[in-house]
Amino acid sequence: MLIAQDLVKLFPGVRALDGASLRIEPGSVHALLGENGAGKSTLIKILTGVYRPDGGTLSVGGVEVHLDSPQAASRAGVGVVHQERNLVPEFSIGENIVLQRLPAKGGLLDRAAIRAEAKRCLDLLDLDLDPDRRVRGLPVSQLQLIEVAKALSMDSSVLLLDEPTTASTPSEVERLFEVIRKLRDNGTAVLFVSHKLEEVYELCDTVTVLRDGVSVLESTPLADLAKQDLISAMVGRAHSAVDLPARPAVTAEPVLELSAVSTAAGHRDISLSLRPGEILGLYGLVGAGRSELAKAVLGLSAITAGELRVRGKAVNIKDVRDALRGHRIGYVPEDRKEEGLFLDQPVTKNIAVAVWDRLRTRIGGVSAKSERALAETYVERLGIRLSSTDKLVGELSGGNQQKVSLAKWLAAETEILIIDEPTVGIDVRTKAAFHELIWQLATDGLAVLLITSDLVEMVTLADRIVVMRDFHVCGEVVNDHEYEPTSHRVMGLIHQDAE
Amino acid sequence: MITLDARLRSNETTLAVVAVVGYTALVVTSGGSLLSGSAIETFFAYLAVPVLIGLAQLVALAVGQMNLSVGALGGFVACAGGVAMAQHGVPVWLAVPGALALGAFVGVLNGLLVVLTRINGFIVTLATMTILTGLQYELVGTTTVSDYSPVLRDLGRAAIFHIPVVFLVALAAAVVLAVFLRRAVPGRHLLASGGNPLAARLSGISNNRSIVVAHALSGLLIGVAAVVTLASAPGVNQSIGGDWLLASFAAPIIGGVALSGGAVSVSGTVLAAVIIRLVDVARAQFSLNPSWVNFVVGAVVLGTVVLTHRRGAA
Repeated sequence: MLIAQDLVKLFPGVRALDGASLRIEPGSVHALLGENGAGKSTLIKILTGVYRPDGGTLSVGGVEVHLDSPQAASRAGVGVVHQERNLVPEFSIGENIVLQRLPAKGGLLDRAAIRAEAKRCLDLLDLDLDPDRRVRGLPVSQLQLIEVAKALSMDSSVLLLDEPTTASTPSEVERLFEVIRKLRDNGTAVLFVSHKLEEVYELCDTVTVLRDGVSVLESTPLADLAKQDLISAMVGRAHSAVDLPARPAVTAEPVLELSAVSTAAGHRDISLSLRPGEILGLYGLVGAGRSELAKAVLGLSAITAGELRVRGKAVNIKDVRDALRGHRIGYVPEDRKEEGLFLDQPVTKNIAVAVWDRLRTRIGGVSAKSERALAETYVERLGIRLSSTDKLVGELSGGNQQKVSLAKWLAAETEILIIDEPTVGIDVRTKAAFHELIWQLATDGLAVLLITSDLVEMVTLADRIVVMRDFHVCGEVVNDHEYEPTSHRVMGLIHQDAE
Repeated sequence: MITLDARLRSNETTLAVVAVVGYTALVVTSGGSLLSGSAIETFFAYLAVPVLIGLAQLVALAVGQMNLSVGALGGFVACAGGVAMAQHGVPVWLAVPGALALGAFVGVLNGLLVVLTRINGFIVTLATMTILTGLQYELVGTTTVSDYSPVLRDLGRAAIFHIPVVFLVALAAAVVLAVFLRRAVPGRHLLASGGNPLAARLSGISNNRSIVVAHALSGLLIGVAAVVTLASAPGVNQSIGGDWLLASFAAPIIGGVALSGGAVSVSGTVLAAVIIRLVDVARAQFSLNPSWVNFVVGAVVLGTVVLTHRRGAA
């Protein structure tokens, strides 16, 4: 049995956990739910000894524990299957299972002991795998079951599974569930972290819901709860939304239309349209295929069926360069540091990079003067606070960096802008300023396709919200900017098959 | 179970076949002169250092690092050993362990610098390479040191059934290293850190310790290569080690060692060193331009990397 009481975890500027509690009973499966950013990962990291809590207590089997390392957690009997693959590919299945304490005799590995111990763990799960087989090349589903066996090798009384079904097919999920039920019947306390309510209902006995670092539902029997109750607990009330003035309804012809589009990335039958002056939101859980859809529009993955129309004309966009030059579509990527900006270059160069062709002087160089003039125009328009446009982008705050990556696309005179997760890792005040900026740009006539996992942000900004799930569109919600009803409708669409 | 089929298709089998076919072809085209005792002795005597420095690079690659200081450290240790014996009267029984310890010590320094500064191993060993090259020049200047320990020189020329002792030393080092990486717990930890650092960390393995151990072993093997050079080369001077760096990478890369860490093959590395040696022998036999050897080795390294990359992507 694992009991967490009032856990608090502080990061600079954020209370990631602010009184999270849960109680996992032996012989039961306990669901941990929460929106993106609710604190699930932080809680898991505390339970597995990766983070140390700043407050609260933890006990396993009735004994208070201080888990200050992953080893301490596994010694205390807490096993975990992480989201990331945690196996060594060149090692055998057996060696991976016992990696935490490789048995040795006289300084050399005891192969027989490895095999026996691995076999014991695999047998617990009814897995018929050869412990001597190398891990490289095994299918993902088996890797996951091997990780469960690895977690069991330390005689765990508590097993944490962090979103184990994200990349699995239905039959693999079924196999995993069989294994989990078997463990439950043998008395293991299982914590199951998931985004998928239907899986939670199928597998779990009790549930804890985190929101803003607090347990809003704590260790409640799932049988007492309807899907609607869980959604309400997850989304709660908006308290950080900015009130933006209403925008006039948009009537212009759509600039970007997808009709029945399927892609090589796996999208099926996607239809949506975006008008100038409109913010269209794309909402969905992680893995729903939103960023991948954006990349298909930019020509980064092939459209295999259906039609993509820009300004009414069917087009075939070859690549990002073609999207920008030929169709004036810009993309502000999610990971601005990796994909969007040159951190060790000044603001001027970052803003001008997409239009160097236009700034070219007669002898082929780029005029520093015209670069600066261009940069200054947009720095002023977007309210980027700087001592000089020669400052390196890497030295700017997160909010200003994001503004610079936006300025680059405006300087390139894009008319359609796809913005992916714009405010991840940005503090609340900068976030609000950024929201106003996007709102203003749309009001000035820019067509914005907004991808965000932050439901508050979505309800604040979007005019309409297209909801995606498993690479298809499962519905569209007209946003009346009332947080509660809109968020309920969106979550209802995502979880419509659950019960 | 590893099936016979898998064994036949393995990288090591391919390399062994290439080595045997290549050697046979050279024996035939040389009219059998390559089968004489002295020819065999020469062939293997010049193989000892390539094998040892290949293994030194292999250990660094195993943990996901690189060691650019292979040649500079080898040259420095060889010169230090030679100067100590020839000019300061250090006895050979002290100079040899001293050279090994010096190699391992610099290796530990490399490892500690990587771990403590978090600077990429490439840069750290690039820096130590430059420093060591300077130190080597400081030790010997433009002179060649050759009047040291006759015992060691004799051992360098000794052979058992036409197999030079220095080659047996290299082979013994390979066997010990193979057992260490395959069976010893620190060896497994080292490979786990190289193969998946996150998994290793979550399993209670210290990646930092693995990195230091790998660099220390790399340095120790370079120390062995330096002693072999002291024993078998006509003398040591400022040029020793100058051409070791490419060779140290070529053998493990052709031998199937992953640059990304975690996947090694000691036998593959030894066989690749044999093949590179064969190219050199062919050059001498057909009196080809020496630059062709570098050309061929470079092309083979590039080809191997492209092939492995393709296989990895498929």
